[in-house]
Amino acid sequence: MKRYSRRQFLLLGTGLSAGAIGVLISIPAIGFLLSPLFSKKTYTWITVGPIDQVPVGVPTPLYASMPSIQGPPTEPQVRAVYVVRHADGSTKVLSNICTHMQCDVHWDQLLQQFLCPCHGGLYDINGVNVGGPPPQPLPEWVHRITYDADTGQHVLEVQNRLNESI
Amino acid sequence: MKASERNRTRVGRPVQRRLKATYSWFDERTGATELLHKGLYEAVPSRGSWAYTLGSATLVLILLQVFTGIFLLLDFTPSVESDWNSLDYLRTSDPFGNWVRGLHLWGAYTLILVIGLHMMRTFLSASYKRPRELNWISGAVLFFLVLGLAITGAMLPWDQAGYWTTVVVTNIVHYFPLIGDGLRQLWRGGDFVGPLTLTRTFAIHVWVLPFLLLTFIGAHIYLLRRHGEFGAWINYDTVSDNPDREIGERVRHAEPPYPTRRIERRYAAPRKTDDFFPNQLFKDTVVSLGLVLIIFVMGLLSGAPLDAPADSATLSYVPTPEWFFLPLDQFLVLTPHNPLIAVGVFLIVGGGALAMLLLPFLDRSRDRRPTRRPEVLVPVMLVVFIVIFMAVLGVNRLYSLSP
Repeated sequence: MKRYSRRQFLLLGTGLSAGAIGVLISIPAIGFLLSPLFSKKTYTWITVGPIDQVPVGVPTPLYASMPSIQGPPTEPQVRAVYVVRHADGSTKVLSNICTHMQCDVHWDQLLQQFLCPCHGGLYDINGVNVGGPPPQPLPEWVHRITYDADTGQHVLEVQNRLNESI
Repeated sequence: MKASERNRTRVGRPVQRRLKATYSWFDERTGATELLHKGLYEAVPSRGSWAYTLGSATLVLILLQVFTGIFLLLDFTPSVESDWNSLDYLRTSDPFGNWVRGLHLWGAYTLILVIGLHMMRTFLSASYKRPRELNWISGAVLFFLVLGLAITGAMLPWDQAGYWTTVVVTNIVHYFPLIGDGLRQLWRGGDFVGPLTLTRTFAIHVWVLPFLLLTFIGAHIYLLRRHGEFGAWINYDTVSDNPDREIGERVRHAEPPYPTRRIERRYAAPRKTDDFFPNQLFKDTVVSLGLVLIIFVMGLLSGAPLDAPADSATLSYVPTPEWFFLPLDQFLVLTPHNPLIAVGVFLIVGGGALAMLLLPFLDRSRDRRPTRRPEVLVPVMLVVFIVIFMAVLGVNRLYSLSP
């Protein structure tokens, strides 16, 4: 067995003790810091309402109260849901979150395009990025459209998440 | 002698004696006098000393931020549900509330300007050359910390401006290569901006960054005292017929004795110095007073704005950055499509920040006179010009330049 001098022993003991203190503190600290990466995500379905009155060919904002996906329970955040109905019967449920810096995109009647006020990003009626800095199309909210036989209406439901990450 | 006079002398003398004895008791145990002398009788270069007041002005303004920040903490509640209400209460019901918020806001604006001037002065006089490289680097770190405090501060009011600033700023980090998505997730505490985003930003603004700031201020001031104030080239002229002897004479009295090369010996010790107290301290105090007066008046007249409460469903709000982030914002407008956003933000802006940090090692010029180092002066001035130009473009929000 290797023999340690008194000085070597003290140095080794100090180093190991200090290192152990560091490790002991780091484990919970780093785990706590990184917890949003692993903590539970709660996705819920939110009924937006009937969409048969939405005019064809005109993106129309409806609103959904979305509970937060993670974190302590708080009041739901209201978000805009752009419903785009096409003549062929297909429907898009676009978010108004710009894919560049996530500012609030709106449908501009004059341009006939979605316009982002922050850096001038442009999207066409299907949310495809056609101008300015946005790197990808507007994502859709995860959604489903059900037929309510009682009222004879098509009802839109969305989830509090996007169909692709931006 | 009247009885009353006799009484006064009898009472007066022992009180003075006792005070003196108390101070010498305190001094013997703390070394207060020695500390005060060390602090006050530092030799500083005589010429251009109004320009050397900017560092102490920066310190005063930072302390003012700490002071007003602590006061705001008395009333401000960092939760998405009561944040706006607590600020609205300050605005409408607390007669001094908006003034204190105004002091904190205008103090921040003034601080950023004064730090800019301080860095510009240090750059022009090349004060960061050996042995003061780390003075510059610790100062550059302080500059970045102050910018971080400014941007996290702008995120705290949960009004439209603060909310959308939070959305954009937390989103910028996700363009960071590889770990960007994770960083955004951690800062926001989720996919979207939410309750955890506010508490996290609050913790960063109130604990993390100020703690680092005070630590680096300690290092910066320690290094300043270790090497002494450099001043500028104007303090190092030679007047005699034999400059080498004159410089040698100065270096002999200077400490520490580091210089070996001729050019370093020239800039080792100023020709003439004054005591910090009271010459420099007077000028420092006057400049700080002027700045505090400006902040005091602007805080009173203009206060701090509070928009409508945060609305994540708005279709008409136009987020605008604080003026000190206009250059970066305009840069985002001009950066073309992915994946060049990442390249633009993190190579050009990050590279620029790194170059600023490492300036003492990039500036290899030998002399310190601005006219003798155009190879350093011209590019830096060009960058400063571009940054200001971008800010002007940003004010007008010129989208038309985007591809």
